[in-house]
Amino acid sequence: MSDSPTTLSTPAAASLARHRAFSLVRIGALAANTLLDLIRQKVFYFLIVFALVLIGCSCFMDFIRPELQFQVIKDVSLGAMSIFTWLLSVLATAMLLPKDIEDRTLYTILAKPVPRFEYLLGKLCGVLLLLAVSTVIMGAMFSVVLFAKEQFVVAGLRHELGGNPAALAEALKGVYAGTFSSALVAGIIAIYLKAAIFAALTLFISTFASSYIFTVVISVAVYLIGHLVPMARDYCLSGGGGFVAKATVAVVALLFPDLQLFNLTDDIVAGNAIPLPIFLHTCGLGFLYIAVYTCVAYFTFAKKEL
Amino acid sequence: MSEPAISIRNLTKVYPIPFKRERVVAVHDLSLSVEPGQVYGLLGPNGSGKSTTMKILLGLVSATSGTTRIFGRDSTRVESHEEVGYLPENPYFYKFLTAGETLRFYGRLCGMGGQALRDRVHELLAVVGLEDAEHRRLGGFSKGMLQRIGLAQALIQEPRLLVLDEPTAGVDPAGSRDIRDLILQFKARGITVLLCSHLLGQVQEVCDRVGILHKGRLVCEGELDKLVAIENQTQLIFENASPELLARFEAEAAACGARLVEKSKPHAPLERFFLEVTK
Repeated sequence: MSDSPTTLSTPAAASLARHRAFSLVRIGALAANTLLDLIRQKVFYFLIVFALVLIGCSCFMDFIRPELQFQVIKDVSLGAMSIFTWLLSVLATAMLLPKDIEDRTLYTILAKPVPRFEYLLGKLCGVLLLLAVSTVIMGAMFSVVLFAKEQFVVAGLRHELGGNPAALAEALKGVYAGTFSSALVAGIIAIYLKAAIFAALTLFISTFASSYIFTVVISVAVYLIGHLVPMARDYCLSGGGGFVAKATVAVVALLFPDLQLFNLTDDIVAGNAIPLPIFLHTCGLGFLYIAVYTCVAYFTFAKKEL
Repeated sequence: MSEPAISIRNLTKVYPIPFKRERVVAVHDLSLSVEPGQVYGLLGPNGSGKSTTMKILLGLVSATSGTTRIFGRDSTRVESHEEVGYLPENPYFYKFLTAGETLRFYGRLCGMGGQALRDRVHELLAVVGLEDAEHRRLGGFSKGMLQRIGLAQALIQEPRLLVLDEPTAGVDPAGSRDIRDLILQFKARGITVLLCSHLLGQVQEVCDRVGILHKGRLVCEGELDKLVAIENQTQLIFENASPELLARFEAEAAACGARLVEKSKPHAPLERFFLEVTK
């Protein structure tokens, strides 16, 4: 420390705001801190892998029809976005709470006038911000690749059908219809929501999990079960299985999210529009899952002995 | 009469052992009070219940029974933490953040912001001797520097009570002395300090009162000077006393029925010697 010690100033309690039971400023501080910490851990390096996947799938398809090329790009890109955002949400969230406990950083935070639900909410918001930034960047990269491919195909068609305006117009109409549409945005939002659900779910698991590995493993298991839920439900609804099987499926369907609801990629790739009611229903369900998992996480964390 | 800075009444904490009917009593019927402005040393061997008591006081662990209050407010209420700064043992912070960012983060958690927070951050970095490290990430900090930034974050909202758990653990003698001086500075400013340390020499230098916990029970508590003083002995230290003079003192003392218990040359504390040779 300094040779001539600096003395502390006189108490300036007036600079402190009066304590509020709920403070967006505190949540914002926790969220910003979480986001900054994760960004500086270089989590965005996975975007390089995503970019390579995009470039790879757009460069080596010249032998197939243009319409199919667009479908493949959309299919691969949206699939990769879905996997990367999900992985990011699970891996980034799983370490938040255990690391804070292990480093005793949590003690110093909760020793400040910070309610436990604000801590959880701040951490979750930080991860959601990270996922939002990642999704936007991946969406932008995807759009650039799709646009470049579209322009490449359009240039080829103009060269090929330049002498036949009617045929060219028809071909261009097909190309434009097969690339950008509002359904793409809906699909990307659904991917984000699915990752956000897993962030909330992973946070919940980490409130009682004994280790980072346990949290990740359970989250992966839920991911797999979540994709199988509709199959099992359809099987039971079609009359298959006995009482025990039906009861089990009912319980699983209640506890685990139906992740197929958030899979709009098939429709987008097929060129189908996503009806607004279905999109709103998907969003509503996503927010509900996030809210439920966050509430359950709070109830578990509120009584946790640190 | 002002409220005690810390008031603990009949505090008991029992930890059940999972899958067994046994349970561990970490703290048993503990009652103690720390007055404002005091430096109170909570001592005890490992597993005596010191950290559990601190955690209950900070709302990190719930009490099985009993009450804990900070300046008259129930310490399980979050708003009571406005008055508290806490430095845990061997703290680690977000290593990707800089020292300045870390302090600003804690300041915002306490409702601070703007120029007041910026000024406070600069002031505290100067107080703990890290003004040159404001823009350095904590990942590159030594243990002593982490301890200092921990102390700075504990002070960020200018609390009236500081709870320090082994504040000099892993810190070199010079840093340890600086932290001790800071504690004395807090005391001079009227800040109450609850200090938990295994370094009894340091506790003796800064604490007004101590409580000794053993197996979850408060076995001894009181003013330090009274607790450690040997009432029937007196210590005199002479400078430039000749052997003849000392012999006369010994003879006089023996004639009056007093017994000479020890005769030796006082030693400079090893800490002072170390600091002088490493200056």
